[in-house]
Amino acid sequence: MTNETRRAALAAALTVAVVMWATPARAHHSFGAEYDSNQPVTVTGVVTKIEWTNPHSFIYLDVADAAGQKVNWKLEGYPPNVLYRTGWKRDVTMKVGDTVTVFAWRARLGGPLAHSREVTFADGSKLFFGPPAGTGDGGAAPAVKVP
Amino acid sequence: MRATLVVALVVAASSIATLAQAPAGVPRGADGKPDLAGVWQGSSVRPGKWEEANNGLGVGGTGKDPSAPPSLGSQQVITEPAPYQPWAAARVLESYNKRGIDDPAALCLPPGVPRLVLVSLFPIEIVQTPKRIVFMYEYMNVFRSIPIGEAHPPDIAPTYLGDSVARWEGDTLVVDVIGFNDKTWLTGTGTFHSEDLHLVERYTRVSKDRIDFEATITDPKVLTKPWTIRTTMMLREGTRVQEYVCAENNQDPAHLELLLKEGAGFRR
Repeated sequence: MTNETRRAALAAALTVAVVMWATPARAHHSFGAEYDSNQPVTVTGVVTKIEWTNPHSFIYLDVADAAGQKVNWKLEGYPPNVLYRTGWKRDVTMKVGDTVTVFAWRARLGGPLAHSREVTFADGSKLFFGPPAGTGDGGAAPAVKVP
Repeated sequence: MRATLVVALVVAASSIATLAQAPAGVPRGADGKPDLAGVWQGSSVRPGKWEEANNGLGVGGTGKDPSAPPSLGSQQVITEPAPYQPWAAARVLESYNKRGIDDPAALCLPPGVPRLVLVSLFPIEIVQTPKRIVFMYEYMNVFRSIPIGEAHPPDIAPTYLGDSVARWEGDTLVVDVIGFNDKTWLTGTGTFHSEDLHLVERYTRVSKDRIDFEATITDPKVLTKPWTIRTTMMLREGTRVQEYVCAENNQDPAHLELLLKEGAGFRR
């Protein structure tokens, strides 16, 4: 390897390294701390309540468990302004009484609590209700070099 | 050392390339200076309307794999490893290892600067006159109203977003910020700072659609040298900045407190 090639390779490698340090600043706090991306869950049930609130919205869903008992799940998601830009229309897109399927990740605390990602409606159409797993938890690497 | 030099050269070469561009299509105000007015999305590299630019990222779009991680290809913040002093780096790492459970924004407090600029989930509206530039951030509904061509007042009390004054260097708006409290994060998880933080932001509208943003962070109490971060802001025509009242129904702090008590495994 000539000095020139070595320098070019080094520069290329460092350029990649710099980009790799890029931190996705999605800044939707705490989803990654509160919910476990290793515990995906898909639940189907009847919407009992929708809270269009800041900083996060919630869907409440009556889901039948293995024994046929109704369990009310609480699914956290984006705030109303982000839902609006994602294509949701409050009181139109989803109403109490609708049957929907939600793909989510369960809370580290356990229980019928999860961080929602995608809602599938009765007609098969889909919309995101929450961010990807791990949002706000610092991403794949810390801001500093690990000693 | 050599690594730092090459990184610096890559950054410098890119900056020079930017300066050399003829800024075609850049709107100008009555004073002949670039007009930065508009609604923008930080940390994005994709042109277009909000819906087009964010399709598939989880901000908008349907039908994509819901378990896919966010796409880094569409948004990026270019930085070197943050040059924290060893004791401070340990504190940043501790926060990272706890998955940002101590994020001040989880308490609905104002995010810091330049963190507010790097947020991509919420738009930023800029309004500009020859004497003043105003940044209105949808995230936390905070604003910065910045005089152009004035000096910092002599009696600054520390605040979350600091005291900002702007000036023009050619076609670049340079914003000098001091007077911060120590309660915010600079960028990502755990990136704390002291009240000695001095920030210099540079906004260059290089085309109708794009502002190149650069922030130089100086804080001798926690950093070993100035830290530079670069990203782009993309114009989002048709997007409106909306209300965001964070304190309305913030249930996360209670959950996070429980998690800390129960010692949930945050290790990755």
